[in-house]
Amino acid sequence: MQMSDAPVIATHRLVKTFGSTRALDGLDLEVTPGEVHGFLGPNGAGKSTTMRVLLGLLRADGGTVRVLGGDPWADAVSLHARLAYVPGDVELWPNMTGGEAIDLLARLRGTLDRGRRDELCERFDLDPTKKARTYSKGNRQKVALISALTSDVELLLLDEPTAGLDPLMEAVFQETIGEAKAAGRTVLLSSHILAQVEALADRISIVRQGRVVETGSLSELRHMTRTTVVAQTDQPAHGLDRVGGVHDLTEQDGQVRFQVDGDRVDQVVRALAPLGVRSLVAHPPTLEQLLMRHYGDEGTAQDVSGQNVSGQNVSGQNSREQAVPR
Amino acid sequence: MTGSTAVATPTRRQELPARPNSLAGTGVLLRFSLRRDRIKLPAWVGGLGLFVVYISAALPQLAPTEEDLDSVVPLFTQPVGRMFTGPAFGMEAPTYERFFAAGYAPYLYLLAALMSIMLVTRHTRVEEQTGRAELVRANVTGRHAALAATLLLATITNLLASVVVAALAISAGFAPTGSALVGLGTGLTGMAFAGITAVTVQLSEHSRTAAGAAGAVLGASFVVRALGDMTATGGSTLSWLSPLGWAAQTAPYVHDRAAPLLLLAALTVATVFCAYLLQGRRDLGAGLFPARRGTAHAHPWLGTPSGLAARLQRGGLLGWGVGIIALGTVDGAFAQALLDAGEDMPPAMQDMFGTSGLLDGYVAFLGSFVSVLIAAYAVFAMQTLRAEEGSGRLDAVLSTRMSRTSYLAAQVCVVAAGAALISAVTGLSTGLAAAGVTGDWAVLGDVGGAHLGLLPGVLIVLALAAVLYGWVPRLMAPLGWAIVALCALVTLFADLLDLPDWLVTLSPFGHLAELPLEAFAASPFLVLTGLSVAGVALAVFGFRRRQVNVV
Ligand SMILES: Nc1ncnc2c1ncn2[C@@H]1O[C@H](COP(=O)(O)OP(=O)(O)OP(=O)(O)O)[C@@H](O)[C@H]1O
Ligand SMILES: [Mg+2]
Repeated sequence: MQMSDAPVIATHRLVKTFGSTRALDGLDLEVTPGEVHGFLGPNGAGKSTTMRVLLGLLRADGGTVRVLGGDPWADAVSLHARLAYVPGDVELWPNMTGGEAIDLLARLRGTLDRGRRDELCERFDLDPTKKARTYSKGNRQKVALISALTSDVELLLLDEPTAGLDPLMEAVFQETIGEAKAAGRTVLLSSHILAQVEALADRISIVRQGRVVETGSLSELRHMTRTTVVAQTDQPAHGLDRVGGVHDLTEQDGQVRFQVDGDRVDQVVRALAPLGVRSLVAHPPTLEQLLMRHYGDEGTAQDVSGQNVSGQNVSGQNSREQAVPR
Repeated sequence: MTGSTAVATPTRRQELPARPNSLAGTGVLLRFSLRRDRIKLPAWVGGLGLFVVYISAALPQLAPTEEDLDSVVPLFTQPVGRMFTGPAFGMEAPTYERFFAAGYAPYLYLLAALMSIMLVTRHTRVEEQTGRAELVRANVTGRHAALAATLLLATITNLLASVVVAALAISAGFAPTGSALVGLGTGLTGMAFAGITAVTVQLSEHSRTAAGAAGAVLGASFVVRALGDMTATGGSTLSWLSPLGWAAQTAPYVHDRAAPLLLLAALTVATVFCAYLLQGRRDLGAGLFPARRGTAHAHPWLGTPSGLAARLQRGGLLGWGVGIIALGTVDGAFAQALLDAGEDMPPAMQDMFGTSGLLDGYVAFLGSFVSVLIAAYAVFAMQTLRAEEGSGRLDAVLSTRMSRTSYLAAQVCVVAAGAALISAVTGLSTGLAAAGVTGDWAVLGDVGGAHLGLLPGVLIVLALAAVLYGWVPRLMAPLGWAIVALCALVTLFADLLDLPDWLVTLSPFGHLAELPLEAFAASPFLVLTGLSVAGVALAVFGFRRRQVNVV
């Protein structure tokens, strides 16, 4: 197999419209070989639409798309032999058992590895003899996941793959994605579960209103946003807001609280030191805080902080209050 | 809320009602259903009205004076004619109104039954299957509210149909009593089948199975009535065993008896009662029978395009196939009864048909009738592709190595093979039954030819549905069923309705030789088969170009 650095997925100014709705509005996405790429964004941002364009189920109205070096619309079949897809809302054939559905999809993709299939059924605790219509939502999701994970493919397209899985199964899922990564597979993972993305993703793209508004590794993204600092100093610290990169400074009972741009932390700490620091707490932005900058409308972002995002343990009350720097 | 609760203390008001009201919310649901069907229901009722207007206008064209009707009467009075119309009351002194009641009103009853089956399925089981009913029931709505609202909706619609049909018949100059009977017959037949469907939707979790079961009852009623009316003018015992026969037994404009309508009313009440009982015993979304376990592994053939197609089409093929084959066999077994009935015909009519001519005509009619049903099966089977796409399962299937060409081609080929199989087996079983009762083994070949000779017509309908699926999937259901309706109309009524030529030429079956009345003609057979293949290629071409699951 030719292992090059050419991106596995590359879209450039991708546009997809549904009548008057612009679902994708110049989306640039790049996923490099072997990485797990987190794909985040608010409801209706265009994540599923992107996935369906990448599968060649929808035709792009503008821009370019390459998947595994091919055009997903024209080369759909040959590309599909090399990828597997898990939709977020799995519908199964009501009269087939879960086992049959797993086998069916895996065989359609290529060959079926019985041993691996049975092992995954065991790990995900799925009874494959039940008729699909009797499965709970989480179990339907497992059927699609197991089928995708049994296939020996280069790329996994996962659209909210664990919606409905219990925490135990979530852990199994993270394990299996780790194994997929170790096996050199590339994963595009769309998810609303931030803890999952934080644990798995090498890089993240945040999409909003059909555009990628931020992309990079978590630490790069953190660097680009502000850190919250709470400090107690011997001397009053109000002069600090003259230092470049400091925002929203408040002072109360000898305690200052402010935010500092990711690339200015060094200068600020230097400015703080002469004042006699008695205590210092710095919260790097959580993924939630990163996202909150992009989710919702600019003006109302403050109102939604901390409430719309689930699945993430916010590190403390303070950071929740200051979730939205801008 | 009653007045007494309104004046109660605040704490009393918080209390739940002592007896949960299983009909709570019916009014809201009814208004909601009326709004959802604000186009469909007026269209159905208008269609029934249009049918009455068209017939009353067309009859003077067919026979300029009522005396001229005498020459057209054999269409209805000979046994095969009675099969697909009714008991043919009062045809010894035909008038326009009697002609209307004998030849055309039975189709008003049939259409009202179809309308009610679809209406009830749409508002009950489809809602449950999609999970929308769950959203509704989670509010202040009772267990029976949805069913009650649906049946009220059916009542309103059928009442409207009764009034429209009766009023238009009267305005065409037909006698008021008879017209009222035709109107009431239409509405009450509709209600009886609304009740029957209310029962079948309790039995199966799947709306298609539920509608199919109600459709099977309708089909069986049609066959029983057909055989009963064929046996004797005015009907026989069998005619009274079929709900479709009761409205015709009122003999509008001849005997004008209302009593048979009571049977329809009684059937409605009984089935509705039964439906409420059954609904009280089952869970929301569930059928009456629990799901069984199955195999943990798929058979290897399931992982191929044709294996998947066969699996998806299996249920539909089985249901339709068994129904059609049974119908054909029963019809075949009545061949001797037909010949006996023919001997009682007046001499003038015997000249027209002759004994062997009568049997040939019957065989040709069965071939056409069954072929139209098989065409309906083909259109039905193609609808599964829409369901696959709408549910998102097609996304999953097409995200594998399966190409769109192999997916669609496999599905169409499996349906085509199924249609051919139904045609061949029905031809064989009908032929065997007919040969058995008449002792004339030559009829076996005739029946087989009458069925298989029309197969290209079925294939063309299938190909048209496929083309629609490939290019404009939204139109596949309406246009597909319109084509089937057209074929039925032309096959059964080309002579009766005095249809315009352009309409007749639209039906593919008319272009094929009608065995055994005509000699086999190879060229239309081959041309239509070739066109079907080309149609499938065109369908695949379109399907490769269009997007998947976009509204
Ligand atoms: N078939 C369609 N027809 C019309 N509009 C559509 C269609 N599919 C998606 N859209 C619209 O495109 C936009 C993007 O939808 P998409 O499903 O991609 O969002 P998403 O990011 O996956 O959201 P979620 O997080 O809720 O899954 C939405 O505004 C949606 O309404
Ligand atoms: Mg989505």
